Amino acid sequence: MADTDPTTDSAAQRPTMSRRRLLTGGALAAGGALAGAGLTWGVADREPPAGTADPVSFGEQVEPFYGPHQAGIATPAQAHASFVAFDLLPTVDRAALGRLMRLWTDDAARLTQGQPPLADTEPELALLPARLTITFGFGPGLLRAAGRSDQWPEAIGSLPSFSVDRLQPNWSGGDLLIQICADDPVTVSHAQRMMIKDARPFATVRWIQQGFLHGRGVRGDGQTPRNLLGQLDGTTNPKPGTPEFDAAVWVSDGPEWLRGGSALVLRRIRLDLDDWDRLGRAEREYVLGRRLDTGAPLTGQREDDPPDFTATDESGLYVIPEFSHIRRAHVADPRLRMLRRFYNYELAPATGGPPEAGMIFAAYQANVQRQFVPVQRKLAEADLLNKWTIPIGSAVFAIPPGCEPGGWIGERLLA
Amino acid sequence: MSVTDRRRRPRHPWRLLATALAATVLAVLVPTAPAAAHNQLIDTAPAKDAVLDEPPAEVALEFVERLDPTYTTIVVTDAQRRTVATSAPEISGARGVVRFTEPLAPGTYTVAYRVVSLDGHPVQGSFRFTVAGDAPAATTAPVATPTTPDPTATPATAAEEREASRGVAIAVAVGVGVVALAALAGVLARRRSGNGQR
Repeated sequence: MADTDPTTDSAAQRPTMSRRRLLTGGALAAGGALAGAGLTWGVADREPPAGTADPVSFGEQVEPFYGPHQAGIATPAQAHASFVAFDLLPTVDRAALGRLMRLWTDDAARLTQGQPPLADTEPELALLPARLTITFGFGPGLLRAAGRSDQWPEAIGSLPSFSVDRLQPNWSGGDLLIQICADDPVTVSHAQRMMIKDARPFATVRWIQQGFLHGRGVRGDGQTPRNLLGQLDGTTNPKPGTPEFDAAVWVSDGPEWLRGGSALVLRRIRLDLDDWDRLGRAEREYVLGRRLDTGAPLTGQREDDPPDFTATDESGLYVIPEFSHIRRAHVADPRLRMLRRFYNYELAPATGGPPEAGMIFAAYQANVQRQFVPVQRKLAEADLLNKWTIPIGSAVFAIPPGCEPGGWIGERLLA
Repeated sequence: MSVTDRRRRPRHPWRLLATALAATVLAVLVPTAPAAAHNQLIDTAPAKDAVLDEPPAEVALEFVERLDPTYTTIVVTDAQRRTVATSAPEISGARGVVRFTEPLAPGTYTVAYRVVSLDGHPVQGSFRFTVAGDAPAATTAPVATPTTPDPTATPATAAEEREASRGVAIAVAVGVGVVALAALAGVLARRRSGNGQR
């Protein structure tokens, strides 16, 4: 947020190639009409990336660590992420947790500012933070270990099981979470290694989920990223700095220790891309309810046009189908929307075969039971997209508020 | 151009032309192909474009594949594009039925369906039938604001516009193909005459 780029508006002034020019030019270059029919699709968003500052400076950019909220939530999504969940060792009690969180807070405060933490054996790797943020989350097991189970908020509770779930334990749960995000994968890797090293006396790694978005500078800052289904994902997210965002994301009631914090639902969603590929373009857009090129709802022209769920076509059918993802996922009240901060993943198989692709769906909200749960219930009932999106991991974490210099994350729960 | 190149040139230019023509036809047709492989409407009652003396009590649609009740929509609209009240679709196997809650007035009706194949592919379409007799809309019921468009009906939906732009694309593709073929024919003709001169 500290580095929002002032050049975003300049995109409008740059010459953009028209669809027709691309179509005719491409078809002629191909020496005939052979590729002509296919070329009409997928070119509309080919605008020059806006907000591309000097790429070298991307590495030096810094996100503030201290503040009322932890960084990494309202922060514009960085290009790379690693989510690391830990299981606490059985001996860890509240005092030990306090020691761990003091140490980790100090590590994160330094790493995010481009300074090597204490005992960094590769200090040069810490010098380019590339908007690094490190965000801490507490699972129910941490509160148990701390003897504070009564402080687990009802607003988070636990997730019911959904009919579409195919959850695997090795991608689910966890006592503690760190979310590491930066525009550079080397920075993420180094921060991850430092944090895991310092956790060794307290906890073991339960799972690691790594993901990526478009590289920084490849598209304009602030543009909605695409997931591996080709869909612009996150169009209706609450906008940081608005009252709707604050109401939707930050906890303002319940146990005192979490006020100013948030709640994270982290779902690992495998995508059946091979089967998705069998859908025609129009079919995919019916499934999503949005145009693939512009991200506009099927009733609109622009990505941010509000969908008209009552509009019908000539034959009387809803333009945005009943089973479409945006109709099922729609939340009218912006204060009840979730902040979705997804990352794509792709895993090379251990042996042969195609890679497994999917998304790490990270949704921040003030109240899981009022925000994530009802939407997911509606999606599980009749969202046609379920056929190609299979939840294989699930975890919920309370995200404590931020801290000021001299303080540490989780102090109000663990001190 | 080298001598070896010339030797490799096919003897029958019309074969090249035929290949290019076939490729052009394929390129134009293939992008529209995938939907055809999935669930299909095979029979309806009333039949498509039927003119009925008596208003039907229901509309029945028969498909190739079993229907998923969760994802089956059947909507009937009148000539003014107002939705006609029906029951929810009753699904049994590959058959879906909606019953009219009141007898239909004379006029032309559109039945639109949207279903999902077993493999998850959405399929939609529509057909019309007519109940014979004097249409009441023109004679009996002077609606208070007849010129006001139905608020739920958009003048041109995104899907239609997309169809339109796809039509343009195909037209352009065909056009480009024709130009390319003409050019190819020209080149071949010139080469032929060139050969003759040498």
